[in-house]
Amino acid sequence: MSHDNIEKHVKIYKNVFIALLVFTVITVGASYIHFNAVWLGILIGLLIATVKGYLVAANFMHLNDEKKAIYWLLILTAGFFVLLFFIPILFKGNIVKTQDYFWDDVKVEQVENHGDSH
Amino acid sequence: MQIPYNEKLRPDTGLYNAKLGIWLFLASEVMLFGGLFSAYILLRVGTPFFMSNQSALNVPLATLNTAVLITSSVTMVMAWVSLKSNDLKKYKMYMMITLLCSFIFLIVKYFEYSAKFNHHLYPSTDNFLGIYFTMTGLHGLHIIGGMAVMLYLIGPGIKMWDTNKERFTNRTEVIGLYWHFVDLVWIFLFPSLYLL
Repeated sequence: MSHDNIEKHVKIYKNVFIALLVFTVITVGASYIHFNAVWLGILIGLLIATVKGYLVAANFMHLNDEKKAIYWLLILTAGFFVLLFFIPILFKGNIVKTQDYFWDDVKVEQVENHGDSH
Repeated sequence: MQIPYNEKLRPDTGLYNAKLGIWLFLASEVMLFGGLFSAYILLRVGTPFFMSNQSALNVPLATLNTAVLITSSVTMVMAWVSLKSNDLKKYKMYMMITLLCSFIFLIVKYFEYSAKFNHHLYPSTDNFLGIYFTMTGLHGLHIIGGMAVMLYLIGPGIKMWDTNKERFTNRTEVIGLYWHFVDLVWIFLFPSLYLL
């Protein structure tokens, strides 16, 4: 890294530092605002966190200027990460058979057995 | 036998091996914390009165900890820049500040945990506190792990600077990547648990 390059990087790091502190204050401030819909507050909070996360990843972790191998690795990770998030949603919508089905079966069996005994 | 591509870049990846290694490790960390975030969402949407104990959390202390961790991230990257400029004195100073910040983070966390326990709020109290203690506890363990490596790099590990400057700089970059990831996790943990 040349001397000029280092100075340029240091300037960017300082600006990112200030931006992160400002966004932290905004996040806390936004949490005191009463939004009409709960989801709107959550969305705004997560959006600010995503911007902060991007600033850290792009500048401190140098992802804005990285080798292809790392980008491919991260795309693969992001794919599995999304999959991981979808698994509970599939369970929630009973798209995948959950324990509820199991318990329903048990209840049916119990009712049937109960009926037989009389 | 010497381990290959410690300093030289591997022709097929364009990276030194430790860098690819730490990114693979961070990918596994994404899945680890991702699983817990997923559990948090599922519990939040599926449990009645899930957030009832959120008011017990101390927002000012967590905001302070966020600022402390962001500062430590900047000083960590500045430590790496110092090595790139051949300035070992500045490197030591920035690493010490990073270590100090991580220590402050843990002390603040200790006070937060103590306050909860004094009010008889434990991981077993309810689902929210269960996931709160699990996620912040795991994050805290990552802070301790990072501190151990930093202590090594300003302690016995610093000898490498005299024998192999480039490899030592690479080691600092690798711990830096880990440390920024720990900061990144906190950036999402803070609003999810304390604010939203």
